[in-house]
Amino acid sequence: MIVVHYLNQFFAGQGGEDAAGLAPQRIGGPVGPGRGLEGAGLPVDVTLSCGDDFFGEHEAEALERLLSWLDEIEPDVLVCGPSFGSGRYGYACGSLAREACRRGIPVVAAMTPDNPGVLAAAGAAYIVPTGPSVASMKTALRAIAGLAHRLGNAESVGSPAEGGYLPRGSRRNVLVSQVGADRAIAALLAKLSGHVRTEVDSAFDRVSPPPAIGDLGSCTLALVTEAGCVPQGNPDRLPTRHANIWLRYPLGGVDSLSPARYESVHAGFDTRIANLDPNRLVPLDAVRRLERQGRIGGLHAFFYTTSGVDTPMAAAAKFGQEIASELIPAGVQAVILTGT
Amino acid sequence: MRRDGRYEPFELASFEVAEVVEGSTACWSDGSLTLCLRDLSEAAMQGLPALQKVDVRLVRPGDSVRIARVLDAIVPDVKVSRPDTTFPGVLGRLAFAGAGRTNRLTGLGVLSVCDWAAAGFNSSEPFPEAFVDMAGPGRSMTAWGDRWELVVTCTPDSGAPVVDVDRCVRTAALRVARDAASATINRPASAIDSFELEEHVDTSLPALAVILQVASEGPLLDTFLYGGPVGGIVPTVLDHREVLDGALTNGAYDWAAVRNVTAGYQESALIRSLVAGHGMSLRFAGVILALGYLDTPFDKQRSAMLSARLARRLGADGVICTTFSSGNSHTDTMLTVQACEKLGIGAVAIVAEMNDGLTDHVPEADSIISTGNHDELIDPWMPEEIIGTSDSAMAGEPVPLWAYLGACTQTGDMALTAASS
Repeated sequence: MIVVHYLNQFFAGQGGEDAAGLAPQRIGGPVGPGRGLEGAGLPVDVTLSCGDDFFGEHEAEALERLLSWLDEIEPDVLVCGPSFGSGRYGYACGSLAREACRRGIPVVAAMTPDNPGVLAAAGAAYIVPTGPSVASMKTALRAIAGLAHRLGNAESVGSPAEGGYLPRGSRRNVLVSQVGADRAIAALLAKLSGHVRTEVDSAFDRVSPPPAIGDLGSCTLALVTEAGCVPQGNPDRLPTRHANIWLRYPLGGVDSLSPARYESVHAGFDTRIANLDPNRLVPLDAVRRLERQGRIGGLHAFFYTTSGVDTPMAAAAKFGQEIASELIPAGVQAVILTGT
Repeated sequence: MRRDGRYEPFELASFEVAEVVEGSTACWSDGSLTLCLRDLSEAAMQGLPALQKVDVRLVRPGDSVRIARVLDAIVPDVKVSRPDTTFPGVLGRLAFAGAGRTNRLTGLGVLSVCDWAAAGFNSSEPFPEAFVDMAGPGRSMTAWGDRWELVVTCTPDSGAPVVDVDRCVRTAALRVARDAASATINRPASAIDSFELEEHVDTSLPALAVILQVASEGPLLDTFLYGGPVGGIVPTVLDHREVLDGALTNGAYDWAAVRNVTAGYQESALIRSLVAGHGMSLRFAGVILALGYLDTPFDKQRSAMLSARLARRLGADGVICTTFSSGNSHTDTMLTVQACEKLGIGAVAIVAEMNDGLTDHVPEADSIISTGNHDELIDPWMPEEIIGTSDSAMAGEPVPLWAYLGACTQTGDMALTAASS
């Protein structure tokens, strides 16, 4: 089994902040915490290092060099860190982990659950939760070595609870001994006796309404829809259901959405009537009228669209955040969101 | 019904099929079922003008076969004293289901197959794939790969309206199911169950009801109660024996993994377990049939509210809310959980998941049973034969679980769940 270990400049013994600008380096054998991994039964073949600032400021270059070494070495497992509570180091570990996983290399990292590196890893790596400081080094190394051993030998690591890693955000199917009906009856009897249990953790997203807009006459409005309204022929291939994208189309010079130019590709309702007049999906005609009458300040130059069919709440929340992050800098204060 | 106004007691007599043999006449002998496939095809086809052809084939568990374009799965049943009332309303004459004796073949399924697109029925949305694999990695994903199967492939008559074709396909498959089971009449059964509920049980046991969600959105998306589409009903109490005995049949062919096939009602694991637990750990308070896929927030809230009220009328301390198909209907489930909890009735929901989780969730739904992630991919498999379509049927490709019939059924009949990893 070939093991590669990634460290920042500090843990690689190259210096503190003064050495944070160091470019990636390749070192034979274990260094620093890598010796601890050996002590825990995981011999390290190659250590790779990079200064935290270098990674932050030249991420593409750093990744390119580190990944080219990984391509050469073809490790069975990559260990990143532990980076504990360090944001820059954690981010580098998470980013490298994500890219290495894309190349099919299993990765174990270790950091605090709130480290930005957890997000950067995008569910790719098995991340052992640690405390914020090196005080938890020994425990972390033991957990890393165990996980890395199993991954390197292509053995199962079990659930997050069994394997001692943070849930990676994916839901894998498992066969259990009882059918759903029997599990439901047992869960209901337990709930009625005061012991609530669930197989799906809560994920609801409650957004409190923002304060009312005082003067619509000076307000810029945007039109957003989940009605699957797109230009005729769906040139950008908006999925008709289970959409993983949203799209933006210009409204400059457009007064009304004509059926000759727009249509709905939404798979969740009978679109025939709506397609006779796409303004009933995205009410452009009415909003232009309000604009002319001065009852709203103006209309944002684009409308935003997706098809809201079988859309998980997590995806919907992400679309909303992404669209809002375009609308807010553009000075949009209000949105008409048409649903179907 | 008897003259004294009481139902005849229900008896479900099981005949466990060890092997199916093709022969010139149908007969049953000690686990061995002989069937004449030509007779089954001819009888299935009679008087159904919207069908050009009905082909009945026998497929064995372990055969290297993928069955594609599967519409429904049915358990072969026959009403012994009056076979013409089998699947009442939809196939047979109207009579109460769940009364009198029914003979059932276990270990044998009837799968209806129709390639709508090949027959010229085009829709803006392609019909989603629906597979049953008799071997390979997908075999254990459905309840059907381990049974003998009678595959009823229907070829529509060109130009026949889709509504007529669908009615004829459903009729043909139910006939095959009834006729196959008819071989057992007057033969000794392997087991007989009554599903009677003992009246005098410990009243301190918690009373549990099922809110069984169904939907009817028109042809190819219908559920039938005694032969009529359920669209527009208010929540209704059904006798659990009616559900087990063919009162509910399926005509909805959307996403295969979360499809409520007819067999799912006939074999309902929930009803069986609630009857088994009655008087032991619980009291079974009944089955409420309620709609999902309702169009408006008003309709959804109204149905949820009326379901909760019926649950209270049944004296339920707790309910299990099942879910029909995906997306829209999950909101109906969540609102029903919410409405029940508001009346002080504890609720557990059964739902399937997708890669990014659920499409709806309310705080009251704090106890959820997951029937698996239907976006997960099943390993590629190359069957020796594909039945039901002339296209590749994703042979040799990874297949998303949603394409496997009943794999994540949200009535709780399978043992799959999803866990964080």
